[in-house]
Formats: sequence, structure tokens, C-alpha cells
Amino acid sequence: MSQDLGLKLVPREVAGVGSVCFFEMDLTGEKVNKLSTPVMMKMRELLQEVARNSQYKALVFVSKKPKIFIAGADIDEIKKLDTPAKFAEAVGQGQSIFNIIEDLPIPTFASIHGACAGGGCELILACDYRISSDDSSTRIGLPETMLGILPGFGGCVRLPRVVGLQAALDVILAGKLLNAKKANKIGLTDRMVHQNLLEAHTVRFIQEIFKDGGKKRKKTFKPQGLVAGLLEGPLRFVVFNAAKKGVLKATNGHYPAPLKALEVIKKTYKMSDRTQALEIEKNGFCEVAVTDISKSLIHVFDLTEMVKKQTGVPGVEVTPMEVKGLGILGAGTMGGGIAYVAADKGIKVRVKDLNTEALAKAYKHARDLWQKLAKKKVIDQYQLTQKVSLISGGTDYADFKTLDVVVEAIVEDMGIKQKVIGETATQMKSDALIVTNTSSLSVTEMAKGHPRPENFAGMHFFNPVHKMPLVEIIRGEKTSDKTIATIFELTKKMGKMPVVVKDGPGFLVNRLLLPYMAEAAFLLQEGMDIKTVDHYYVKEFGMPMGPFALMDEVGLDVCIKVLKIFKKAFGERVDLAPCMVALESTGRLGKKNRKGFYHYDDKDYRGEVDVSIYEALGLKTPTNPYDSKECIERGVFAMINECARAFYDDKIVELPHEVDLAMIMGTGFPPFRGGLLKYADKITAQYVATQLADYSSKRNAGKRLEPSEALKKVKTFYS
Amino acid sequence: MSARDVVIVEGLRTPFAKAGTQLKKIHPAELGRHALRELIAKTNLDVNLVDEVIIGNTGNPVDAVNISRVVALNAGIPQKTSAYTVHRNCASALESISQGFEKIKSGTMDVILAGGTESMSQMPTLLPTKIQNTFDQLFAAKAPAQKIALLWQLFKGDISQIKALLTGNMRSEYFPVISVMKGLTDPFAGINMGQTAEILAKEFGLSRETQDQFALESHQKAVAANKSGRLKDEIANYTLPTDYKLTMGEDTGPRDGQTMEALAKLKPFFDKLTGTITAGNSCPITDGAAMLLMMSREKADSLGYKPLAKIRSYGFAGLEPERMGLGPVYSTPVALKRAGLSMKDIGLVELNEAFAAQVLSCLKAMDSDEFGKNKLGLSGKVGSVDPKIVNVNGGAIAIGHPVGATGTRIVTTLAKEMKKRNVQFGLATLCIGGGQGGSMILESEA
Repeated sequence: MSQDLGLKLVPREVAGVGSVCFFEMDLTGEKVNKLSTPVMMKMRELLQEVARNSQYKALVFVSKKPKIFIAGADIDEIKKLDTPAKFAEAVGQGQSIFNIIEDLPIPTFASIHGACAGGGCELILACDYRISSDDSSTRIGLPETMLGILPGFGGCVRLPRVVGLQAALDVILAGKLLNAKKANKIGLTDRMVHQNLLEAHTVRFIQEIFKDGGKKRKKTFKPQGLVAGLLEGPLRFVVFNAAKKGVLKATNGHYPAPLKALEVIKKTYKMSDRTQALEIEKNGFCEVAVTDISKSLIHVFDLTEMVKKQTGVPGVEVTPMEVKGLGILGAGTMGGGIAYVAADKGIKVRVKDLNTEALAKAYKHARDLWQKLAKKKVIDQYQLTQKVSLISGGTDYADFKTLDVVVEAIVEDMGIKQKVIGETATQMKSDALIVTNTSSLSVTEMAKGHPRPENFAGMHFFNPVHKMPLVEIIRGEKTSDKTIATIFELTKKMGKMPVVVKDGPGFLVNRLLLPYMAEAAFLLQEGMDIKTVDHYYVKEFGMPMGPFALMDEVGLDVCIKVLKIFKKAFGERVDLAPCMVALESTGRLGKKNRKGFYHYDDKDYRGEVDVSIYEALGLKTPTNPYDSKECIERGVFAMINECARAFYDDKIVELPHEVDLAMIMGTGFPPFRGGLLKYADKITAQYVATQLADYSSKRNAGKRLEPSEALKKVKTFYS
Repeated sequence: MSARDVVIVEGLRTPFAKAGTQLKKIHPAELGRHALRELIAKTNLDVNLVDEVIIGNTGNPVDAVNISRVVALNAGIPQKTSAYTVHRNCASALESISQGFEKIKSGTMDVILAGGTESMSQMPTLLPTKIQNTFDQLFAAKAPAQKIALLWQLFKGDISQIKALLTGNMRSEYFPVISVMKGLTDPFAGINMGQTAEILAKEFGLSRETQDQFALESHQKAVAANKSGRLKDEIANYTLPTDYKLTMGEDTGPRDGQTMEALAKLKPFFDKLTGTITAGNSCPITDGAAMLLMMSREKADSLGYKPLAKIRSYGFAGLEPERMGLGPVYSTPVALKRAGLSMKDIGLVELNEAFAAQVLSCLKAMDSDEFGKNKLGLSGKVGSVDPKIVNVNGGAIAIGHPVGATGTRIVTTLAKEMKKRNVQFGLATLCIGGGQGGSMILESEA
């Protein structure tokens, strides 16, 4: 017999039942249980053994990993598959193995604690009965569409039967994992108990089933009420149409996987022939799995996995300091957002601001966000109280001697910041760290205000903090490895994605974003319509919002200020369109004063373009002289051009991966394109350089769009 | 174990507000949390050093029965640290300090957070016993017919309850139980606390005007202390978590414009025909919390703290429940004896103002040889007290009396004021509903 890989059958006598076979999963040498080919093969072998052994009265799947049931398929293996035939083979294998589970003559149970995703969820769907813990780590679902594929081990076929069409579509199309409570509510699990009671209740569940005769079952969803009955039955086309509309609205048609999943479910729903249904699912899977989009999405998944393993200081052995108390200087939008994110993860937060009203606003901001979660039953009232209790504040340095890290988020003024940082350092433990949330000032320069500059770094959050996953960690010249490692770990603890960057104007993300926004202004200057440009970027390229909406969001004054800083730093290649210069004196600040390129309502929701802006900026009525290709290329290629300089000339980051992660997490760069540099590699750097040279001369853009020396030398960014 | 010095490192509290006003929606555990969290912050205390948290509370909220533990955990005290609640009525928060004192003095512990919290706004109104009984039967009932019969009874009970409320018939067995009123009624003598003060007023011959004058001065002293920032020192700004719109930094009780005329207009509340006790010369029912950090001297020294004062002794004593207001006269000689001091040594006094009549009676009784001999079995009077050194920053009549928290409030005020005035010995004392008194003697650390 081959090695057991950490999968084994453990028979156990259960009173009133007899011998129950526990299928224990605890993959050797792995942090998580995942369904790689060897694991699947072993599983088949063990299942056949179960089928042969007439002693066994029931089969129970359990995981021995602390917070993982089964994390899903092995992504590394999926990456290696390249032809439809290979995909078909792998998917067919999986389907047949889960069919064995379904076809076993004895009742089968899944006893779930921890993450149960993708193939893991499909495995429990093949079982007869499901019981889970109510722990927050127990999250069940089918996230395949997030990776550009669809559930292929029978998930598209079995889930709708278990939970009904509407609930199944919600789970599969959004690709989000459900918490234990939700999973239980929709009927994905039969029972839910506290994790410490899970084992006892699993046994009890088996006993109850055997009391009733120990039957297998095919759980089929029974709609409650007439309307539900119609929607699951004759009127189900209404559900499908609504779902399709929803997907198209959410993805702008850039993501084919959810649509394909929808098609598969539509064809297989209520189909009695399992073989045929699984065949349809398999074909659907293979169609989307071979696309570039799926490859890109898997690349993005890899990027996030990469961060989990990183320490922020490659090749250096340092132990990060544990951060239990976090201080925040300045209770503004950023300070308040950071307070929320930290306290949400159980870190004690102390906010200092000179203004009591600012403090009150920060407390309220956090409490309101938690209250929303409580309303959605994501957290309960007790958790709400505990989280709220973690944030306190004052106008003096009370509590600062107990803090491990302080984030400075005060006014963007070098002199004031240096002074405050120096003052704060004297109020803290000598080994405590101070980090700055500056977006435009030099971290190395600012460190001069700190008596121990090695204990100082940048920690740049993006607005709104609770939504934006990226944090740029800026290494100043004197920043120590321990400081970087500590802040890197803290960022992860706060549930954010850290990317370590070198100090330099705009660090990474803003440095790339500014040329893009500047270029949009030139498009406006040359007669393009605001709505049209934004529309191209959103609908055609896939950005979450267009450049004008983004500038409103960031603040028009901030954009102009930072552009001026860049112009000083980078010289001729940074240029402000005349309309940008004119903007400065119009008093339009964007969303924050509800006056920008767009109208805003009193709840800050963006409305239509404010057409009065054309006249205010001295522009003629837009004529839209350029097509979408030019509009998109000029903006995106300006970013790639600047990125080549940042990456090769200034070595702001070490890996192209980091650029892509930062752009996706920090700006919402379309994940299905795999990131800025993955996209550049796909269309080739050479093409980018040629087009830029063309636009530069054609549109009289001079240095602004001239391809950089660094870009001209690039073959591919990824090696 | 050797006896060790016990010092008060720092004390801090929430602003106090009359029940039913600004703090009414805030749970007593949250009031306590704020005071404790801010005390920890102000002292930059490493919470891992805390040996125990002892908190006084009388309302005993049903959703936080050991409220001390809830306050402690939400204020950031580690889970490993023990926390318990004490109840000695009006002196609950003096009891918490006394227990901390014993534990540190004996060498059992080094760092204790003691205090008290109370929301008199949130003391519940309970179902009348009649209706409660029907509910109990309903929960136990099995047969549908029985259930229907009991539901019908409940319905009839509700009607009777509404009738009792409409007619104001408080003696009806259907009248709801207002626990704050029950709590202020002596369970032995069966009279309200205000009525015990009426007894004292009559026995000690205290006119309405004398009482009102005392109340007026309490307001004037508290207003002055607010203005000079003397009270600010013990109050942590509180941004109310109800809607985060209001940040309180001061007690709301002290009235700047209080006058004898205004006080004279108020009608006697407890004895409408012959009484002198009014809402104006009694303390209001109040919401608030106060906390104190206490340590052994060695610990305070090693951590570099500069303590406010040292605790010399404490003492509790009992008397007739219907004269509970005289409690301080009974407990103070006990504390003085333990400290080896006499009243002459005391340079500053905090005597809790439950009622003006009660404070004035205490001062008279302390100054009476006859009272000392006959009632206390002493050779003479407890000692005369100069009214000028009593409650120099105003008292509970102006500031308020959140029952379970006041003990810590007066000890904190005393400790801070002793330091400011460079007084060597100070006395903090209160009367306790049910017929007890509690006293604590502090010594300056200067």
C-alpha cells in the first residue's frame, strides 16, 4: 500500500449503530487539506475499501486540521493544466470519486469545522447528511467563479438540488463563502452546533438516523409557499433571467465563468440523468478553464497566497514584535478608518486628536460600521460591545507608554509631522514604533524627526480604509528590518495586503496612478467627454471607476497638489493639462465638498456629470474626437511607462508580482487582466512603447507620453 | 505577612448626571468601562500587573450580574485577572477600596483596581408579583386549556395593572415594582431614606432654612470647583456612545444660579405635612462610575508612580436602620482608632451628602459629648468638625450620588484635595442605607 498522505479510515463502535467508519483528513506536511491528484487517488482507494467492507454501517468525513475542513482543489495543479482534454480528465476523475460517495450503500455524513470551499463543499454535497460547527472559521461555499472557473465536481448539479435554485445561484455566481449560520439557514447543512460539541453531536446525529432505519437520502429542496414553488418550477426562467442580468451588471461582461455556471445550472436543473448532467458541467468547466481570464484570476489568487507566506524582509531572520496596542495620531477619515480596522481584529486602539469632535466622529464611524455588521447578523451584540470597547481616545498622550505602534495620520505637512513624531517618541516605550500614513511626503526625510529613525517607517492605507485591502509599507533609508517585519505582520493581522516599497514620490500606487489621471485631464482638454472616458474605462477596460470619478473620490485639490510635487520631482514628463490648472481656482474639491466632475447627492452618492464644469474650466463642448482604444491606451500605457521607470530605474519594489498585487488591491485594476504588468506582458511592452511614441508625436504630448528608456529595454516584466 | 503601606496612585470617574438625563441610556457596565479604561490610560498602566478588579454596584443589572468582570474585560483587563462585585449599598465603592486595602496590606496582592458603577436610570421596573406568578404557571403549564385559562388571567392582570397605574394606587398588588424606589426603602424599618432624614431633621432640630442653606453652599462650592478646574482633575471626558454627539467633561448637577428663593419654593417630598426634606436639599438619584488604582508602596515606587495618598485605615459600623443617616458618627471613631488618630488630626473631610439634614445631624452628633457617651459608649464626643473643611468642592446634593460609585468618588476627591491643600490626614465617610456607616482615613504622601 502506498503512503497514506494523512488520509485514513478509523472505525469506531457507535452504540445502537455498530461500526462507523471515520474518514479522517489531515494531510501530511500541509497546513490545509486540499484535493490534489494524489489525494483524490488515495480517496478513491479508501472509498473502495469502505464499499468492500460490509462491517461499516456509516461513513463520516472529518478533518483533523484546526480550522480547515477542505480548502478546495490544489490551485498549483490547475495552473499546470493547459488543454481542454487535460481539464476534462481531471474533472472527470473528481466527479467519479464523488459519485462513489453518493453511491455508497451506507449513509454518509460530513462533520464540518473550518473552511469548506470548492471541492470540499462539493464533497459534502455528495454526502447524505451534513453537520457543522458554528465557529467563525466554518465557512462553506463554492468560490470557483472567483478563479474564472466553475464548480466541476458536481457542485453545479448537486447544490441546486440541496438548497434550491435561488440560494444555489446566490452561492455559485457570487463565489462567496457562507458563514455557518447562513449555510444552515439555506439548508446546506442539516445541523449546527458549537465546535466543542461537534463530535458528540455527529455521533448523536448518526444514532438518530439509524433509529429511523439508517437510510440514505437524496435531499431535495422543497420550496415553501406558492411563489417559491412557481419560481423553482414553471417560472424558473424568471430567476435565471434575473440572475443573468445581475451578473452582467456586476461584471460588465468581463467575467465569463459566472455566466457559464448559470448556463450549466439552467441545463442540468431537475435533469434526472446524473451522467448527462455531470457531462454538461464538465464541458462548461473546460470551456472557461482554458481562458486567459481564468489564468489571470488564478495568478491574482497566487499573489494573495504569496503575501501570506512573506515576512516583508526576504532572506532576513527577524522576529516581528507582537502588536497588542495601536496608537493613532489624528482622528480624521484615515485615522478613524485605521482605528476601525485594527479594533475589528482585536487590537487595542488609542486615538489622539486635539479636537474632541474629531474623536467622536472616529468612534462613530467605527461603531456605525460594526452596527451594520450586527444588523446583517455577521456579529452579535456582545461582539459589537467588545469591538466598540477596544477604541478609546483623548487629547493627550494618555496610554501611549503602553502602545507598541503608533500610526501618524495628521495634516500632510513635513514640519508639523516631524515635530509631532519627535514629541510622540518621547511619550512611548523606547522599542515602540511610529509609522506615517503620508501619501505624498518622504518617509526618509520625515524619519529625521524621530530620535530613533530605525523605529520609523511608512504605513500607507488607502481610502476608504475598511474597503481598500492594500497597505504600502515604506522603507525609509534607516528603517530596520525588525520594524518592517513588525509592520508587515501587523498589516496582515489587520486583514490587509502589505507590499513593501522603497521611499520615493508617490511610493508605488500613487506614482502610477497620477500619470493616468493626468492623461485623463488631457483627454478632457482635447475634447473628450467626461462620461464617455469614464464609461470606456469601466465598461471596456474593467476598472471599478473611471479616472474622473476617481479624481473626485481622491479629492481634486489633492490630485493637483500631488501632481505639482511630481512635476518638481520628475521634471518635464509630468505635465498638468490647462483644464487641471484652471480647476484649482474653481473651488471644486470632488466628493468631499460634493462639487467635482460629477454631481453628488446629500448621501455622497455620485450622480451624473456636472456639465457646468466644461465652461468653468474654459473648455468647449466635447466633440469626442478619439475612440475607446486611444482613450484607454493613453491612460493605461502612461501607467505602464511610469512603472518601468519605478521598477527598473528606482527599484521601488523587487518583484513584478508586487506591482500587480498593489495595483489590484490599491486601485481595483481589473483582476481578470491579472494586474498591470501581467497585462503589459500579454500585449507586450514593445507594443506599449510603439503606441506611446505614436501618441506622443500625434497628440503633441512630448515627454509626457514618450516611452521611457526603461520601457524600451523591457522584453517581459515577468521572467 | 508583614503589614505594608497601601497607596492610591490615581482616581478617575465619569461625569455624573441626574438619572433620566444624559447618561440614562448607558449601561452601568459601559459607564464603569469608560472610567476604568481612562484610568488605565491616564496612568499608562500595564494591565498585566493588575491582580484583581473589585467594583461596587447596587443595581445588579440582570445582563451583567458580576458587573465587575464585564467592566474589567471590556476595559482591556486580561482574561486571567480575577474580578468581582461588592455590594454594601451606598458604601459599595468604599467597600471595594477597603477590600483592596486589606489584600495589599497583607501582602496577598500588589495592584488592585477598585471602584464602583451605577446607573440608577436603568434600574428596572418589575412586573407585579401577581402577574409574575401567573407567568411562572404559564411557563410550567402543559395542557392547552390550562394555558388558555392562564393567558386569560394574564389579560385580566394587565387590566388591573393599568387600573392601578391610572388611579395611582401604589398599594395595589397590581402596581409595578419600581426597583429604584424599593431599593431606597429600608427593608427593616419599612420607611424611605428620605423619611429617615426627616426623623433626623426633627430630632436634631434642623430648620428648613438651615438645610436649604447647606444645599445652596454645596452647589456654590461645586460650581466654583468646576470653574477652577479642581473637579476636572478627577473626571474623564466622556463622548457618549449613544450617538457620539455629546462629549461631557463636567457633572451636570451643580447649578450656577441656585438661590435660596428657588430652594424655598420646593415642596417637602417625603413628609408633605410637617416635613423639611425637599428634592432641593437631598441628593438626586444619579448615573456615574468612579475607579481607583491602588498599589503597595513598593510596587508604586518600583514602577515610578507618585501616589496621591496613603490609606491609613477604614471602619464600618451599624446603627438603627431608621437613623441610617448618622452612620458616619458611628464608623468614624472605629477608623480613627485603627489609625491611632483623633478627630483633631483630620484636616479635610468628605462626608457624603445624602441629605442636608443628615450631614448637619452628623456634624452635631459628632460634636456632642452626650451622643458620644450614650450612643457610642465613648468617654466623650467623637470630635468637633469645622464645617469649612467639609466637602470643600461641594457634595452629592450638587454633584449627585450614584449609589454604588460614590464611595470611590469621595475618596478620590479627598486624596486629590489633600494633595492640593497639603493636608496630612483626611476623612472620607458615608451613611449607608440599612443603618450603617463607613469611614476611611487617608494620609498625605507629600
